Amino acid sequence: MYATADMLPVIIEAQAVETPVEARLVKAVLSGDRDGFARLYDLYAPLVHGILLSRVPRAEVDDLVQDIFLHAFRKLHTLRDGAAFGPWIAMIARNRAVDFHRRSRETVEINDELRGSESHESRANEILELIRSLPEAYRETLVLRLVEGMTGPEIAMRTGLTAASVRVNLHRGMKLLREKLGFVEGL
Amino acid sequence: MKDDYLWDKTGQPDPEIQKLEEILGTLRYQPKPLQLPVSRRRNYFPLIAIAASLLLALVAGGIWLRARSQRIPQPRQAEVVLPSPTIDEAKPETIRDKSKNAIAVNRPHHRSVSSAFSRREREEALAAKEQLMIALRLTTEKLSLIHRKTQTTTPANQIKNQHRVG
Repeated sequence: MYATADMLPVIIEAQAVETPVEARLVKAVLSGDRDGFARLYDLYAPLVHGILLSRVPRAEVDDLVQDIFLHAFRKLHTLRDGAAFGPWIAMIARNRAVDFHRRSRETVEINDELRGSESHESRANEILELIRSLPEAYRETLVLRLVEGMTGPEIAMRTGLTAASVRVNLHRGMKLLREKLGFVEGL
Repeated sequence: MKDDYLWDKTGQPDPEIQKLEEILGTLRYQPKPLQLPVSRRRNYFPLIAIAASLLLALVAGGIWLRARSQRIPQPRQAEVVLPSPTIDEAKPETIRDKSKNAIAVNRPHHRSVSSAFSRREREEALAAKEQLMIALRLTTEKLSLIHRKTQTTTPANQIKNQHRVG
């Protein structure tokens, strides 16, 4: 069956729908549209924030988020597949967290996070510390789910992980967290 | 199902997870504007201007040298070739014919241009050439300086992350 002229708008529309928004935005940014990058930032800042929060002190996270996006802006031309922007920036964030620990190995960290003035925030920091003590595979997924409020399918889509991996990490991570918190599962 | 709530927030909510969401939600990302560096679009105008002035100087120099060389006319020498004076009594009209055929030939005269210039003119030309060379050298220096400047310019409002580095 051949496409007729009448079908052309439908085909174009279908192609536009199939092209991920990230791919279109990356293309726009590379052709000089800086607003496109602002949109990518809005879409992916929570992901980067969550990844960093599961690895570095909270006081450093905001600066690092900005730093990572500036780095991504400069290096965007090296990204071959625009649709893979999420996994790409997630990897930059993980590497930056490793870098951070390598550089600040010898500094004495004052853990401000445990000094929250309000009890609610103090409790949040305590739980975050517990999540950070979990195996690496679980902590990132749990932070993205419980702190950033993403769903499992969203986490899978943004990070490039398979849905099955995210599901396993969520359930195993949650089980370990419950144990650490003293919750009895099912109650 | 409780598992569905953990996975995609559907199904029966798990109170423990809801409590954790509520507490940990205080640490959620707070939107902040991203400050991108100033666009570093390369400005080729200075390079083009310098190249154009260089070209103009070369053309002007060429025209000037050409005009100088044309101002001194090439001396022409007319050489009259006469037949040998043989007298033919029998045919006096032949002599007349031959003398009539006496021709003036402009033979190409291969004199070097330098010999055509006087010493003063040659010195002037050399001085002009020297000036042109200095101008070219200066232009080249300026060109490379501008090139270096454009390569090393840093964005004005770049955010520098301040880590605690040991």
